[in-house]
Amino acid sequence: MTLNWSGKRRWIALVLVLASFVVMFNWPPVVPVIQLPGEIYPAGEVFGLPITNTFVGSIVVWIVILLLIRVVSGRRPRDGGEVPRGGFYNFFEMAFEGLYGFIGSIAPERYLGPIFKMFMTIFILVLLSNWLHLIPGIDSIGFLHPHVHKVEGHYELLDGFDLATLGGVHYLNGQCAWVSPEAAATMSDEALQARADAGCLSGIPAADAADAADEAAGDDHGEEIDYHHVEPGDPAVPWVILPYVRVPSTDLNMTLAFALIAVVMIQVMGFRALGIGYLTKFFNFSTLFKSPLGGIDVAVGLLELIGEMAKILSFAFRLLGSMFAGSILLFVISFLLPVIAPWPVFLLEFFVGLIQAIVFGLLTAIFMSLATVSHHHDEEHHEEAAAGAH
Amino acid sequence: MEEAVLVAGKAIGAGLAMIGALGGGIGIGLSVGGAVQGMARNPDHTGTIQTNMILGVAFAEAVAIYALVVSLIILFVLS
Repeated sequence: MTLNWSGKRRWIALVLVLASFVVMFNWPPVVPVIQLPGEIYPAGEVFGLPITNTFVGSIVVWIVILLLIRVVSGRRPRDGGEVPRGGFYNFFEMAFEGLYGFIGSIAPERYLGPIFKMFMTIFILVLLSNWLHLIPGIDSIGFLHPHVHKVEGHYELLDGFDLATLGGVHYLNGQCAWVSPEAAATMSDEALQARADAGCLSGIPAADAADAADEAAGDDHGEEIDYHHVEPGDPAVPWVILPYVRVPSTDLNMTLAFALIAVVMIQVMGFRALGIGYLTKFFNFSTLFKSPLGGIDVAVGLLELIGEMAKILSFAFRLLGSMFAGSILLFVISFLLPVIAPWPVFLLEFFVGLIQAIVFGLLTAIFMSLATVSHHHDEEHHEEAAAGAH
Repeated sequence: MEEAVLVAGKAIGAGLAMIGALGGGIGIGLSVGGAVQGMARNPDHTGTIQTNMILGVAFAEAVAIYALVVSLIILFVLS
């Protein structure tokens, strides 16, 4: 794979930058609608569960991982030879060996295998989830959806935009924020005419609006509009985009699931290494009646128990917070200045995604290694070593 | 009018919640500063120091991210 276009590349890049300036001035960007829970697909439910776009994002991540497995394991040398198999495979081998050495310096040698597998699984899944929002357009291509909010049986219209059409594709018209008929009645005639000249569909002079409604529907909508089956382009409702795919790590369901898996596996690792004696970390009554300060050990054990619960929260909210904030940063900077300003932000998000994935996996690995160590044995060894030194 | 007060309250609350990021910033600065000094004096142990530094930074950053989550919830979830 060679990418040397002998100096043509810079001209192509320049033309693309200039073209994006032209696009930016003619089709201004749209203020995004930001929502913390994953947006629910309008198409319906599977087995009684609504499908959210973050779930679809995680399916995309699984498919990418399966493709990676296929590509990388397909190139693995079967004969045990060490012949280089091309850049992609070598990159994976390098990353794998580097991370194996990294975890090897943390984890006890006896449990390096399971700890490394857990680390690598979490690392790859979280990394690919985090990097999903670096694909341009992933947050801006989606279903067009009437922005309504159901309150106590009736619909409440929220902020949105008018639609426009280009080559059969509907898009949000950034120049025309949606205006309700009641708000349009209070606007001046000049403002309404200006909106009509700009090509808006709502908030235009009443005569034009009546013509447009006749052309669009033919029949009267009446009072009740079925907001789930509106024709695209209907000026009676505000429109927003519901992205097909959203980054799975911006959904608390995904991060909490990973956090629960990580914390449960930490306990499993502890029981595997120390047997039932692992529980003495939390319920330590052995010194309660032997020493005057035995009560402290009981309290420390309870604090450890609370600490395990806190680990779940801290894992879940760290990933959610940093990735959701990153997504919003990308939305907002792309809205404010869509051409040059987002480039460094994309680079920043690349590193944030990598570091959050490493931190998630590394903390799991460290907590797992700590769970395999018994406190009591450690102290005894230290005392023996100290006695031997004297 | 009521809506404007609501929006203003949300904005003020979200801004106040982000004061928590101060502590995270100070913590990260201190830990990275200490780690860099350690690495400069003791370049052989760069790997170990870096690992522990990243861990400490992640813990310090977590507190700032909790503040961020609170302010994001105030802005986008409360209605």
